[in-house]
Amino acid sequence: MGRQRRRVDRAAGAGSGTLPEAIAALSRALPCGPSPETFRRAKFDRPEAAPALWQLLFRVLSPVSEAGATAPPAPEAQARLVKAALRSEGYPRPALAQLPEDGSRGSRELLLALSWLLARRPLLERLLARTRVRLGDEVAVCECLGVSTGCLGTEPDPCPLQCEDLAFGRANTGLPALGLGSELHVDIRHVQWLMGKLRFQWRNLVSTQQEQCALLSKIHLYTWGCHSDQSLGHLSATETEVLRDPEGSQQLLQVLEQENAHLAATVEWRRRELVFWQWMDTVLDTCPQQAPDAGSQPVFLPKIPDHRAGQWELVAGEMQALEEELRAAAEPRRAAWEAQVRGQSRDPAWSSALRALQETVGQELAALRWAWDQGRDPAQPHGLYRLVRSEPGAPAGRGLQAAEVIGALRSKEACLEAALRQLQGQCRRELARLMGALPGFVWISSPVR
Amino acid sequence: MLPADCSRRLVAELRGALDACAERQRQLERSLRVSRRLLRAWEPAATPAAEPTLGPEAKGEHLSPACTPSSQDLKELELLTQALEKAARVRKGISKAGGDKAPVPKSGSTVTPVTTTPSHLQAPGQADGRVSETSPPRGICQTKAPTKGHPERRLLSSEDRISWGRGARATRPGPGLRDQQTAPPAAQQAPEAFTLKEKGTLLQLPMAFRKAASQNSRLWAQISSTQTSDSADATTTAKTQFLQKMQTASGPHGPGLSAAEVEAELGRLQEACSLLRLRMEEEVAAAPVDWKQELRCLFTLEGLQALAGQCLCRLQELRAAVAEQQLGPWPVGGSRSTLSPCGAGADPARGPRLLLYSSTQELQTLVALRLQVAMLTQQIHLEKVLMAELLPLVHTQGRWGPRELSLCRAVHSLLCDAGERFPTVLQDEPTG
Repeated sequence: MGRQRRRVDRAAGAGSGTLPEAIAALSRALPCGPSPETFRRAKFDRPEAAPALWQLLFRVLSPVSEAGATAPPAPEAQARLVKAALRSEGYPRPALAQLPEDGSRGSRELLLALSWLLARRPLLERLLARTRVRLGDEVAVCECLGVSTGCLGTEPDPCPLQCEDLAFGRANTGLPALGLGSELHVDIRHVQWLMGKLRFQWRNLVSTQQEQCALLSKIHLYTWGCHSDQSLGHLSATETEVLRDPEGSQQLLQVLEQENAHLAATVEWRRRELVFWQWMDTVLDTCPQQAPDAGSQPVFLPKIPDHRAGQWELVAGEMQALEEELRAAAEPRRAAWEAQVRGQSRDPAWSSALRALQETVGQELAALRWAWDQGRDPAQPHGLYRLVRSEPGAPAGRGLQAAEVIGALRSKEACLEAALRQLQGQCRRELARLMGALPGFVWISSPVR
Repeated sequence: MLPADCSRRLVAELRGALDACAERQRQLERSLRVSRRLLRAWEPAATPAAEPTLGPEAKGEHLSPACTPSSQDLKELELLTQALEKAARVRKGISKAGGDKAPVPKSGSTVTPVTTTPSHLQAPGQADGRVSETSPPRGICQTKAPTKGHPERRLLSSEDRISWGRGARATRPGPGLRDQQTAPPAAQQAPEAFTLKEKGTLLQLPMAFRKAASQNSRLWAQISSTQTSDSADATTTAKTQFLQKMQTASGPHGPGLSAAEVEAELGRLQEACSLLRLRMEEEVAAAPVDWKQELRCLFTLEGLQALAGQCLCRLQELRAAVAEQQLGPWPVGGSRSTLSPCGAGADPARGPRLLLYSSTQELQTLVALRLQVAMLTQQIHLEKVLMAELLPLVHTQGRWGPRELSLCRAVHSLLCDAGERFPTVLQDEPTG
């Protein structure tokens, strides 16, 4: 059994309390959390604790769409995915990769892996956030979020708050070009056809989206004044659906209550977790010291060729080209300036003006750098919002105004359009140059829009 | 025909884009179905629900399973219906005469005191049971017959629950109601199903639901407050120590980068590229009028160049780190797990933030713009991919026969006009 440490001073805040309570809170807070007994057994590397921990890690590490899947894959597949995911996360201990995949051993290592994940990030909160019940009509004001959130979904979809690259059109499966076995060579017309299809699908999407907006707006209008929460004022489509279909809503209620239970357990865990970390130190100590592996790990997963490799090249190429262009732009100017300055005398006022200018430019560039470092443009609103209809003259403190978002989106649209035009212009010039050099043909380019 | 690897990459990229779009469409259509259903007339359910916390509007004909109607109950029901129709007629006469001044409290406020009034009419057992069970939290908040006495009011309310479908309701007077007056004569014949348009303002969420929802938001608020407040305390230090111990126990590897972090950084560097480029174009296009502006332009360009150089270095560092750590690609496509940094929703535990809109038009504009931004981002990415794949092909053409020319035309149209227009090629035949 685990150690019992009774602290007299219960009211000391974070960290006080017993280990069993902390572990119990953790096990309640985790989705399909193993029993507290499993944790204790894992410390001593008991084999019977291993399967539950494999399953837990699989559940935690698999992407959103699979987390709720009804049929979990076979234990071997689960174990493989767990190993690959942890490797991808940068898990430092090589012992994990050496565990057998039938799930029969390794509970201590898995416990360490779980704790490692818990320590690095607010794992529990993230797990809960991705399956959070959304009662309102949620709308994303930016395109950083994934597919399942940005559609004004009225059903409580699981909401992945990760950087899903919808805009980059990455295949949802890691294996590229499934079914391309027979079409090794395609004609350019096939590419044109695919592009046309994509355009058409976007147009479709836009019109469907418009209809959904109109309907939601009506629902909000018709249920005005019904909500018990005065700040909201009207029901969302999800809530109205609850009233229309009480049987279905029973399910929703159950999920909501389950989430509440998990949340309460997480709050308790946060209070008690210090004891757990102290215990984990001892678990780490009981591991036999391993000689660090020289060279690659014995279990080496085959590298799946994906088009992400191509992206390195793209970005590197772009960046290099950009540097070249900047150099080409800056050097002549520097030369011209130096020539001008040679004639000037160096008086203190002039050099202080110089310094001031340098500083302002430095600040501007720092702001620019911040814009991409932070991963977002500070002027752009981000994230999920609950859609609420309100009178135009309402007090501004309640939330984000749609007009603001529209303004920000318009400016972003303008930027993107400019970028696209620039790229297209580049292509146009290059192709014209190429074709113009050909003898015997007259090339008439399409009119510029 | 395009070479094999080029084909594969292009088709993979485009298929990915199509799949993502299709997935979005599917989800949107699902939501659309729900919304359409909500705006149609709600059908009364065929099967009884387990718990009588029902919207009366939805389950007009619906009886709780505990009380199956007996023949006597049915008879009394008939009596009630007739009485109600009579009352409706009478009230219609009154309201037509001078307008009813009944106060109409909004949902959520008072509930008619149905439980307290005994009725000498011996309302059917089920009505009794249901009323007492459900009335405190539920409640059509509008009294139907404010001028009549208690029994009738109670009668009407309970009657409502039972025979909503009969359409025997009177017209509802009252300010603040957005819906129109229902036309009783026409509706009295056929059972009138609930429509959101007419009676939407009467809805109220069940108590259990509201409780759960408020507890939910309270707990989330608690969680987000504990998250923000746990900096530099005993727990954090314990965690950091544990992580360090894990790192050193495993051998001399550098601090682990996760594949997700690498990808995020790659995305950031890409963003850096476009921002730097935009800035450069601004500076190059500007015409300096005095020495100060010239100098400023020079400093900016040199600064941008330095930044570009730094980004390139970082890029190479990342590549080396990935190779050294043998960070595999994420096993199931994309970094769609809990572990990648939450991009936009940086604080998932934050309470629901509100987006306020004032008209359908505004909402539609917002959403259309967002889609447009997404589409443009995708287009830009595809443009770069196409440029990288197709331009080299055009460069390496050997002979220039009709096939190569048509390839060129296609490439030009794809790259320069997004496939909407074609250039023309004329063969300049020497005459004779």
